[in-house]
Amino acid sequence: MKTSSKEVQDSVKKLFEDGRISHFIGYEAGSDSLRVTPCFLKSGQTVSRLVWNPLCANNLAKYLLDLRKVEGKVGILVKGCDSRSVVELLKENQIERDRVFIVGVPCSGIVDGEKLLAVLGISPGDVVAVEDGGDAFLVTTREGKRRVRKEQVLRGECLVCRYPTPVIYDVLLGEAIPSLPWVRDDYSLVRELEELSAEEKARYWNRELSQCIRCYACRNVCPVCNCPECIFDKKAPRWLSKANDISENLVYHLIRAFHVAGKCVDCGECERACPMGIPLRRLNKKVEKDLLELFGYTAGIDVEQQPPLTKYQVGDLDEFL
Amino acid sequence: MPDIKEVQTEFKPKILAFCCNWCAYAGADLAGVSRFQMPTNVRVIRVMCSGRVPPELVIRALANGLDGVMILGCHPGDCHYSEGNYLTRRRAHVLKRLLSYIGIEPERFQLRWVSAAEGAKFSAVVKEATDKITALGPNRWVDKK
Amino acid sequence: MVNQKKSKVIEKGRLTELLDKLTQGYHLIAPVQAKDVSFRRVESGSEVTLDYINSVLSPKNAFFSQTETLFRFFRDDNRGFQIEPCVEADREQVIFGIRPCDARSLRLMDMVFNGQYRDSYYLDKREKTTLIGLACFEPDETCFCPTFGIDPASGEDVDILFSDIGDRYLVEASTEKGAALLDKFAGFFVEPRGDEEQLRKARKAGLARMKKLDVSAIADKMAPLYGGDYWDSIGLKCLGCGICTYLCPTCHCFDIGDVNLDEGGGRFRCWDSCMFPEFTLMASGENPRPNRKTRIQQRFFHKLKYFYDRNGELACVGCGRCIRYCPVNIDISQIIEEVASGKAGND
Repeated sequence: MKTSSKEVQDSVKKLFEDGRISHFIGYEAGSDSLRVTPCFLKSGQTVSRLVWNPLCANNLAKYLLDLRKVEGKVGILVKGCDSRSVVELLKENQIERDRVFIVGVPCSGIVDGEKLLAVLGISPGDVVAVEDGGDAFLVTTREGKRRVRKEQVLRGECLVCRYPTPVIYDVLLGEAIPSLPWVRDDYSLVRELEELSAEEKARYWNRELSQCIRCYACRNVCPVCNCPECIFDKKAPRWLSKANDISENLVYHLIRAFHVAGKCVDCGECERACPMGIPLRRLNKKVEKDLLELFGYTAGIDVEQQPPLTKYQVGDLDEFL
Repeated sequence: MPDIKEVQTEFKPKILAFCCNWCAYAGADLAGVSRFQMPTNVRVIRVMCSGRVPPELVIRALANGLDGVMILGCHPGDCHYSEGNYLTRRRAHVLKRLLSYIGIEPERFQLRWVSAAEGAKFSAVVKEATDKITALGPNRWVDKK
Repeated sequence: MVNQKKSKVIEKGRLTELLDKLTQGYHLIAPVQAKDVSFRRVESGSEVTLDYINSVLSPKNAFFSQTETLFRFFRDDNRGFQIEPCVEADREQVIFGIRPCDARSLRLMDMVFNGQYRDSYYLDKREKTTLIGLACFEPDETCFCPTFGIDPASGEDVDILFSDIGDRYLVEASTEKGAALLDKFAGFFVEPRGDEEQLRKARKAGLARMKKLDVSAIADKMAPLYGGDYWDSIGLKCLGCGICTYLCPTCHCFDIGDVNLDEGGGRFRCWDSCMFPEFTLMASGENPRPNRKTRIQQRFFHKLKYFYDRNGELACVGCGRCIRYCPVNIDISQIIEEVASGKAGND
């Protein structure tokens, strides 16, 4: 993360001064040193609040939906994955391209706070700051500086990220990163499960999904979950009972996986938000893999590309006779 | 909610079939008037097109404990609405893999093409599905701990 | 309360055995390590973990389940339509390892479920439960229970308190129920050696650093903020998910629904959350809390004002769960600070 908070602040300040944006969505320091929080600016005076560091996990694209109606252009800070969500929002005509100003930052990975604490053997209060140091993170702790190899503490989605540089932007802060050295097998998590027997798979998912408390954080944090009324909130017909049991949880997660099919860009927000630690990426990755294998489709790359399940070819694979 | 259903002694699968109004439903009729023998495990729901059956319905049915779900539509190229079955086909490929991934045997979800003239095929498809699902046993996904 | 606090000691090596014994006569609910620690019904002492600051889900589930069947109904060929009450808790239960903050939350829940209306489903379980607390000596960064007058190392709201003092636990019963349980398993406990109090005092030293906010007159300070700009940016940031309410040990809102099957069905009660749009949605389609701003405002007003106005207590125990797990870092302790200092009004 060669780009510094200062660079972000300066560039946003300039955008406000030049009248190019009226709002800006970025990150600011959170309530402790392992957290950042979304930050909404309405003028250039407060740009000093903005930060950019390896803790900036939130996918801010979701907030573009909330600021659709404001006067002027909305500026937003996006990483590679976030930019792909923006592409998906544009594709669905959820936002207008000329109403947003996209400030891209190349990102070489976000820290998983829990992994970091475990690797360093420290508690949250011991961390003062986390910085990008190329192939390692530089962690300032109360006891001094420590270096941690990135691969040990990156978030799961960053370990398989193919798009560290935003795919769409109006201005790019810092140098583009073509690829990340640690990314090898994109779908090992999925393949591992695919190889199990039906019985084993059922047991695995039953155990995982029975933990779900249906707080809907995974849905609400997801930028492509933007229906004005979600199918799960509908009263008539009721697709999903409010009772929490395994069959309802199954319905919820399967339908959700299907609803984000072809739109999910694996930003990992659902898994990050889940308080119960359900491996939701494993579900979404499976659909992503199938769409790639069946239709050669990858989401969030090109605004002009039509989602795979809304079109067809006469000569598509036919497994059904 | 605790299960209040009675435990069946001999396993007779419950299978749901969404039949397209323009082909498979007429095919089912033909199978009936032609007096083809077939198992009685299949409950038919008439829909206007196989494209009308979203994955949600299939998932809901399987989660509710049905042992199998079929979508029976027009052969590719014959859709009354030109393209409904093509879209269904794409979705079904993904759904089938997703269900299998989560541990629901792929045989429990089937998409088959049955035209209005294929009464014999309808009965064969129903028989085949019933046999396969009977062999699998009841859909006990929700009980797998 | 017993006048004479009877202190006992149990060697650490004998704890699993004690828990094993407890599972034989009681439903034992104790912390279990999954991805994070959670309170679950256990069958043996070896399932229990003691390596935790606090669980993800609060133990409120043991009294106020996320989903609970209230009664069943079915049609009987001979007798017509039948309603069958659900079996009440059939055995006494013991919750082992509850933290003092969560124990306090039960006192707040009692005000709701044992107030103007007596909720027999909740109270039945509450009466049949013995709480064994585990004193907290190493709180999390997000913990701020002293704010609400809770001593994380005290047994004020539990029946028995276990304090980890190195090689053994100091065990104190603070209620008759607790004393009775200790008597029943007297074989496991020995007399104190004399240095326990000192050891406990030493362990408590770290607690002095805990966050303690000023909440005096917070309810009055909240009042003028109603409908104000302060909630704009918080509402914008909020995702409207149910993490904070579902993990909160004092949140107690519920919904009631039916399950209808061919043969009959049942009525259940399940958690609900003021963060969800349909929480206040009326049949007419009108929603008095139409956006995230009004909903999150409601949550903080309920915690810091309405509950206080009604019951004389704030509906927060400072367990820090909502802070730890909020995906966008909305921090109730920050909000309390801003409200208390008057900073909130000037935003």
